[in-house]
Amino acid sequence: MKLGESVRMSWRAITGHKLRSVLTVLGVVIGVGSVITFVTLGASLQAAIVGDVATSSPEIAVTVGPESQGGPGGGGGGEAVPVFTEHDMAQLREIEHVEAVVPTGQVGIAALGHGNDTVRWPSMTATTRDSFAGDSFQSGGPFEVGANEAVLNPAAATMFAENVSAGEEITVEFAENDTRALVVAGVLNESSGFAAVAASGTPAVYVPTDPFYTTTAESPATGERERAYPQLTIRASSYERVDDVEPLARDYLENESDASQLKPDSYEISLTTNDALVEQIQGILSTFTNFITGVAVISLLVGAIGIANMMLVSVTERTREIGIMKAIGATRRDIVQLFLVESVILGVIGSVIGTLVGLAGGYAAATLIDLPVAFAPEWFAIAVAVGIGVGMLAGIYPAWDAARTDPIDALRHE
Amino acid sequence: MTDAAVDLHDVRKTYQMGDQTVHALDGVSLTIPQGSYTAVMGPSGSGKSTLMNVVGCLDTPTEGVVEVDGVDVTTLSDAERTALRGDEIGFVFQTFNLMPQQTARENVELPMTFQGVGRTERRERADDLLERVGLADRLDHKPNELSGGQRQRVAIARALANDPAIILADEPTGNLDSETEAEILELFEELNAAGNTLLVVTHERVVAEHAERIVHLFDGELEDIERIDQRRIAGEGTR
Repeated sequence: MKLGESVRMSWRAITGHKLRSVLTVLGVVIGVGSVITFVTLGASLQAAIVGDVATSSPEIAVTVGPESQGGPGGGGGGEAVPVFTEHDMAQLREIEHVEAVVPTGQVGIAALGHGNDTVRWPSMTATTRDSFAGDSFQSGGPFEVGANEAVLNPAAATMFAENVSAGEEITVEFAENDTRALVVAGVLNESSGFAAVAASGTPAVYVPTDPFYTTTAESPATGERERAYPQLTIRASSYERVDDVEPLARDYLENESDASQLKPDSYEISLTTNDALVEQIQGILSTFTNFITGVAVISLLVGAIGIANMMLVSVTERTREIGIMKAIGATRRDIVQLFLVESVILGVIGSVIGTLVGLAGGYAAATLIDLPVAFAPEWFAIAVAVGIGVGMLAGIYPAWDAARTDPIDALRHE
Repeated sequence: MTDAAVDLHDVRKTYQMGDQTVHALDGVSLTIPQGSYTAVMGPSGSGKSTLMNVVGCLDTPTEGVVEVDGVDVTTLSDAERTALRGDEIGFVFQTFNLMPQQTARENVELPMTFQGVGRTERRERADDLLERVGLADRLDHKPNELSGGQRQRVAIARALANDPAIILADEPTGNLDSETEAEILELFEELNAAGNTLLVVTHERVVAEHAERIVHLFDGELEDIERIDQRRIAGEGTR
């Protein structure tokens, strides 16, 4: 039998059993639609998170910590060891495309005060002016090196009874009977903040390393006591240069630096780039996407079982028709062809509708949770192909079964 | 034997029903000449339907030879038998067995569709055949829009579609009232007069007496072949 004839006859069978056809199509729609919805949602989420990370500065965070635990942000642990000397910083600045090397160290204190309010507080962050490059201030600006000045993030500016703004004084109690007054040089903007503590809502008070940071170590290279920090941030001239800078910095730090000699043997120096962070997030997201895809594939599977079920019922319903067709000269091939064409038609219709539903669903869901909508077109193709393929596979068994039916039995079937 | 439409030699068909062996056909030999009109009679379980299925290539005998238009059916593969069935056999069933989703014309076209006949030729022939059975004004009606007699006419037109060697009718008037029965039997007579070979299975003697001869089956054996000297003619016969 010619394919055109099969299509015509199958279409007649589909329109002749509207409810059954609609239910079968619905199965495919749900399967394909949920795949596309989930995948669109995953792609949008990925775009949102990667977009956030990629907009921050081209920085490499350098930390030291116990081996195999020195992950990103490792400096935050209690075991930070001050190993990076000023000599190391100077050497790192020599590397091509390095724009700045910013030290970060903690200054232990007892309390902070503003007006009549005093807050017990464990530490301030000592750093340099470079750490505020590109940051925006809601009032004031960066501190001067060597001055009794501080920069507050918004959380710190609002932690006292009265809000702090630039130009006001805060008091720092370093230890009992050792209290100094600091002028607030500036308060950072909500959206800005330097990498390590950027987005956190934790109050942070930044002070210049000179004069507040007093932790020193004897530099093996120069033989002099120098300030030494547990964490550095290397800023490359551009995001693209991070990958050039990183291996050079790593080579220096691991082999020649003061830090490599000062650190305990069981500690290792780790360099974390935003690039690595992006990769890491992408890794997490691809796991996430895989999970979502798994869920979608399951729903597609459920759809497939639905289709197979409908096709089986449809064949049983039409046993008699099949008997008639066989009696008047339809070969097995004709019967298989008819049922296959029917299931393919249902699969195509279901896939097309399912794609539209999935796009609408994914768009709606992404918009609802405030994500930038991103589509993954290759998945539309996969979903449609799977939808049609499943339609075919689900059609093959009942079709084959139908073609095997003994015409005599089929004709007796009421 | 070139003038035989169907030739049966010592055909046996056995079924296993639990631990009992049932001889549905027990050594039946029968020749159905071309252009003949034969009725098959017998009580339930006598093997009428089995004979019909074997002749119609729907079923294969356990033993014996079945030749349709000179071809030994028992040696054919399933696909070849299907092809032969489509080409050489026209079925008319008690329950009409039309495709419910298709119009009268499409039902008649169907056997030709399976034989790969082109659309235009198919349509012309279907229209001709439906006109011949008196349904020229019902071409686009679906089976559920037709009366029982009209449905059986569509089925007969369909049976004629591929110009078969033999038309097999299994209780063709079993579901019809006597007036419609007469119309169908008249149609059979017309077909027979036009040279078609007919084999009608029935349990009603009045129907069987329209044929040239009656084959009596009993317990799967051919009991008697009765010549009808005074054939009933449709429209004149009394019940």
